[in-house]
Amino acid sequence: MLSIRNLQASVGDKPILKGINLDVKAGEVHAIMGPNGSGKSTLSNVLAGRENATVTGGSVTYQGKDLLALAVEERAREGIFLAFQYPVEIPGVGNVYLLKAALNAQRKHRGLPELDAMDFLALVKDKMKLMEMNESMLYRAVNEGFSGGEKKRNEILQMVVLEPSLAILDETDSGLDIDALKVVSHGVNSLRSPDRAMILVTHYQRLLDYIKPDFVHVLSDGRIQRSGGPELALELEREGYAWVGDATNEGVVAP
Amino acid sequence: MNPFLTQCRASFEAQATLETEVAERGRRQAEWTRFEALGWPTTRLEDWKYTTLSGLEKLSLQNSVEFVEEVKGGLPSLTLKGIPAPRLVFVDGAFQPDQSMIDGLPKGVHLRFWSDLDAPEREQFVRKMAPARALTAFGALNGALFTEGVWITVDAGCALEAPLHLVKVSRTGQRMSHGAVLLELGENSELTLREHCEGSTDQPTHSNWATAIELAPRARLTLVKVQQEGLLSYHTAALHALQRAGSRLQIFSFALSGALGRNDLTLRLIEPHAECVLKGVYRVADRSLQDFHTSIEHDSPHCTSDECFKGVLEGTGKAVFNGRVRVALDAQKTSSRQSNHNLLLSDKAEVNTKPQLEIFADDVKCGHGTTVGQLDEEQWFYLRARGIAADLARTLLIQAFTLEIAEAIPHVGVREEVRRLLSGTVGESDHA
Ligand SMILES: Nc1ncnc2c1ncn2[C@@H]1O[C@H](COP(=O)(O)OP(=O)(O)OP(=O)(O)O)[C@@H](O)[C@H]1O
Ligand SMILES: [Mg+2]
Repeated sequence: MLSIRNLQASVGDKPILKGINLDVKAGEVHAIMGPNGSGKSTLSNVLAGRENATVTGGSVTYQGKDLLALAVEERAREGIFLAFQYPVEIPGVGNVYLLKAALNAQRKHRGLPELDAMDFLALVKDKMKLMEMNESMLYRAVNEGFSGGEKKRNEILQMVVLEPSLAILDETDSGLDIDALKVVSHGVNSLRSPDRAMILVTHYQRLLDYIKPDFVHVLSDGRIQRSGGPELALELEREGYAWVGDATNEGVVAP
Repeated sequence: MNPFLTQCRASFEAQATLETEVAERGRRQAEWTRFEALGWPTTRLEDWKYTTLSGLEKLSLQNSVEFVEEVKGGLPSLTLKGIPAPRLVFVDGAFQPDQSMIDGLPKGVHLRFWSDLDAPEREQFVRKMAPARALTAFGALNGALFTEGVWITVDAGCALEAPLHLVKVSRTGQRMSHGAVLLELGENSELTLREHCEGSTDQPTHSNWATAIELAPRARLTLVKVQQEGLLSYHTAALHALQRAGSRLQIFSFALSGALGRNDLTLRLIEPHAECVLKGVYRVADRSLQDFHTSIEHDSPHCTSDECFKGVLEGTGKAVFNGRVRVALDAQKTSSRQSNHNLLLSDKAEVNTKPQLEIFADDVKCGHGTTVGQLDEEQWFYLRARGIAADLARTLLIQAFTLEIAEAIPHVGVREEVRRLLSGTVGESDHA
């Protein structure tokens, strides 16, 4: 589904991603861990099409297409979903409006008829129940005045409504209380299927107790320094990142 | 003399010969003399520094007085659909009784038209209009040339729930219209006035109105004005309000289109515990300019003013915001806020914004802030990352920026209507 080859990206003159290689197949869940500032969000954003980091080399193929050639909104319509580490507040744009416009843009792209207001509301209310969210949230502006946890929950609500093929969750677990973590994990797990893939960026093993990854990668200094199975996360939890090595360490282990 | 002035003079002289009443002729002559003494506003004057009238100067526009009968005869094909009663309709400055709907007004609301006033009433009307007309040279011109006026009084204690619509349409090209509105609200009365300023021609026009407002103690007035003038239209408007104890005035002014719009608003809080809210939006694009000159005068203690204007500037559009707030020496315990925020969406657009705070009292809370910025890159990316097309995402963010002003309109029906106007067809009722 996704194949990243020697991806390099810089912010200004500063190289952030220094040659990322990663293959994600349909049905797989990959966790990416790594120290603060190692480039996890940059990688997530580059995949979603954000232009504040400039791609300086390498390639990304998604479902056979050159991902880097697609506009942000085309990637979204092709089924890529990024749950933001810091979801932005958009006063004046209604949550329900955004959900409907997003869903219909995607349906149109796939040649499906747009949902009418009734069907749409029924669908959204169903998903809100799954996410244990209060319906009044629908009629508020996007993330405006939401608590940190509510914002994260709202991201996952959007995800379960849009049913992406590739979901990239950037620290969705950060800032969630224990109950919310369960709800969010439940939402994410409800989407797991043989034709979908997920990339979970996280700092904590705890999330991986709820969402079992197939692979765990350690990103450090702009490179994937190690890859392994779920046990790697446990090892990281015990040992920290010190042993992973820095940029000069070439000990990359392929999954 | 420029072509515009030449034609104004001709109109003035034609009107003077028709005027039978000596006192009225004298009053108009005095206004004309004042207009000439003030001189044509050029960019050399501080108040017109960034607003050039070079386009208007070249126009030779006829005053409505010369064709009032014609307008009354052949009813214009207006789309007044959707504007409910009670409503007052003016076309090219002339009142349209057939298109207006004022039958259902409550007993406490009185409407009188300039053309029906007797001599003493006219003298009174002109006297009460004077502070508004004193604001600019166009106010003086209005005093000399105005053809129609409406005097709205609301009795003490009378509250009108339904908004009163005041519709001003510039229908015919190459014409100017000068009208006057006098609004007097009695003690503890309440009114919402929705003012529609529309152009239904793509020919040049000039609409020049003056509005004078007096609020008795505890009176509450909400005025919501939307300018949707034609591409080549000029719109000048002067408004003066006098607020007595505990009165509340809320003005929402949306300047959405037209070649040039200039609004001068002066609000005077002359007795304690009066409150005013002054909010507005201007949107300019290629070949258009909007200018708001506002002045809030705290002449009395314990008064509150809350002012916020937001601007969206595209293409070669220009805008001017000049916000004066004066707090007199004995206006202690004044609370005043002012802000002006601008979205500058093109390199060629220009905004000149100037807060002008003159604070003489010492025990006051006064704040102000001005910003000029671009669209928020992060918000734009967020919307696109959800599959929303780049253009639509941009439009949504621009609308969201201006919608905040509409949200504050107290009357729910008017609020919804203005929201729809600001959103165009995008978003319908789904906006938060
Ligand atoms: N606009 C910017 N200007 C300068 N440096 C930037 C900019 N954006 C990101 N960086 C730098 O890029 C590096 C990678 O940042 P990134 O957000 O990808 O890290 P991360 O792995 O997601 O960290 P965290 O775990 O704290 O979320 C950091 O050193 C950061 O300071
Ligand atoms: Mg991050």
